[in-house]
Amino acid sequence: MIDAIQAISVILILGITILIAKLIAPYIARVYNRAPSRLDKIVNPVENFIYKICSIDPSHSMGWKQYFLVGLLLNVAQMVIAFLILIFQGNLPLNPLGFHGLSWDLSLNTVISFGTNTNLQHYNGEATLSIFSQMTAIQFLQWTSAATGICMGIAFIRGFIVGSKNMGNFHVDFVRTITRILLPMCLTASVVFIVMGVPQTLNASTTVTTLQGTTQSILVGPVASLDSIMQLGTNGGGFYGANAAYPFMNPSPYSNVFMIALMLLLPTALIFVFGDLLGKKREARPLLWGAYILFGINLAIAFAPTIPLIAPGIETRIGGFMSSFYTVATTAATTGSVNSALSGMHPLTITSGFLGMFIQSIPGGKGIGMMYMVMYIIITVFIVGLMSGRTPEYLGIKITGRDVKLVMVSFLIHPIIILVPTVIAYASGAASAIGVGGNSVGYTQIFYEFTSAAANNGSDFLGASGNTPFFNIATAIVIFIGRFAPLAILLALSGSMIGRKRGGTSGLKTDSPIFTIVLVASIIILVVLTFFPFLALGPISSFFRGLTNGF
Amino acid sequence: MTENKEKISFKPIIGLALVSLLICGLLFPLVVTGIAQVFFPYQGNGEIVQLNGKPVGSNLIAQNFTMPFFFHARNDSASGVDPDITLKDAYSQITQINNATGISSAALTNIAEQNQEGTFWVFGTPYVNVLRVNLVLIKDYPSVYGNFSG
Repeated sequence: MIDAIQAISVILILGITILIAKLIAPYIARVYNRAPSRLDKIVNPVENFIYKICSIDPSHSMGWKQYFLVGLLLNVAQMVIAFLILIFQGNLPLNPLGFHGLSWDLSLNTVISFGTNTNLQHYNGEATLSIFSQMTAIQFLQWTSAATGICMGIAFIRGFIVGSKNMGNFHVDFVRTITRILLPMCLTASVVFIVMGVPQTLNASTTVTTLQGTTQSILVGPVASLDSIMQLGTNGGGFYGANAAYPFMNPSPYSNVFMIALMLLLPTALIFVFGDLLGKKREARPLLWGAYILFGINLAIAFAPTIPLIAPGIETRIGGFMSSFYTVATTAATTGSVNSALSGMHPLTITSGFLGMFIQSIPGGKGIGMMYMVMYIIITVFIVGLMSGRTPEYLGIKITGRDVKLVMVSFLIHPIIILVPTVIAYASGAASAIGVGGNSVGYTQIFYEFTSAAANNGSDFLGASGNTPFFNIATAIVIFIGRFAPLAILLALSGSMIGRKRGGTSGLKTDSPIFTIVLVASIIILVVLTFFPFLALGPISSFFRGLTNGF
Repeated sequence: MTENKEKISFKPIIGLALVSLLICGLLFPLVVTGIAQVFFPYQGNGEIVQLNGKPVGSNLIAQNFTMPFFFHARNDSASGVDPDITLKDAYSQITQINNATGISSAALTNIAEQNQEGTFWVFGTPYVNVLRVNLVLIKDYPSVYGNFSG
């Protein structure tokens, strides 16, 4: 349980984050409307130069298929570049510790993981990657996957805008996301991280002689530049294996709160952008309240057990309460960075983490979480329509049988790509090969691995022990499908809204508080019906067997 | 707006892949490195602490203290390099340091208390940085720690 002051602190941190998200949303909306801005003087020449050398026609507009395919192909091209960098790391510059190239399956897993905003890591960065790889493979893909996610979210919104004729131009959206949103935000956040104590250097280590006379290597590197995009881009992949538990990534209680706010900022802002771009600000309400009511439920589950001030697996400067809060936020925003050891956590905290990754939209990854929430809204509108016998409508658009089929397929992909590989991992012996047992504790680890992969989250129990061909390839496949299949389907859904007849306001009022309550209830029912049996075998079983010695 | 052409051209894709590599993978981290090294070299290089002009460790990374006259770091934490211990943990080590050095328990308690870190609002529990308190011991008790002052 938490006390009143802690509860107020949680509300304050979330409230301030939501407020800042609301304040920056109109700016983000203007970036994608190509509205004039004070930045134009500096940024326009740079953007025009990029368009020129890349032969991009900024006036060209795309349908959903082209928009999606260009995004997919660009992401694949970026993954290929990063793959080559990881494979040939040993022959590339800025490798002061002389690391060899990575195996092909670990490289494949890493680039698919980072190129899709997942950041599942089957390696410890400080013992595996050169400074060059940390920058040009890891941080590079953290930027591009974040930008891609935002672009896809924006294109998705465009389909629903009254009178819109196309999804926009992916190239232009992508460039403007980097130049006008991510660059200024990440630069600011990086400087704040540096001031708080996060290193940023091209050296990999400093050797000191400790007070007791032994030699110690202090492992440093370009960490602050990673910290900023890792959190703002809801990436979650750490410079070090211990991720945000490592003091150089998260040096103080202050940086810890800063990290929580950063990872929730863009997913929440994109919810407001949805309302802004539609020209119907009230329609952002069910997305926002739906997300944060469910987030609140997850917090309540995670805070239910007694949280120790300090325990094995908890960093002293962060403490138990902030470790639990961080874990709920990192799974809810599908970021996946961790500031404590998951293996030490209370089964209820783990259950809360699972729920965040099952739902994927509380608030979810930036752009993507908003898309999933609209998917849940359409399912809810359909269910309510069935119950009340009225034609389901959303934003004045009649929801057809095809729409419902599309959203159901995109919802069902998720459980399939989690549950099937979990079973295969046990049936093939791959789980026991890395020493993970078939009891509730071991099963939780494998189930979590694939849930995290499918949700493009990236937190995991396995870490470097997952570096086997089976887990590298299996999770890479799950990650790739989990990212691109729902994106394609939801863009197809949105693309099909273009040119459709808009009715009056006879339909269900989706901006009302009652609708939000129905939405929350239907998400809970959908997720519980789908996943409860599997949760019961894992963390819930651990809970009832009293395996609660952690935090 | 020009007509919707559903054909995919590869030149913009390859071009943009390379441009994004240059901006996001090289330019940005290098600019941030420049800012860190010019304006915040202490933090930028890992908060290296010196004793008599020699680097002896980082404020943020635990070192393995084993000798009985020092405060010891934890060895069970998530990162494995947690530089801090709770004030309570520090108190529990005082008897051992007192036995090894003869420094009074009251003085050791005082040093731990004087060096506790501000926790964020109400979160967590008061803690001390192990390297920092050990350096305080070395500076305050040169007769005891003479061998360690370099």
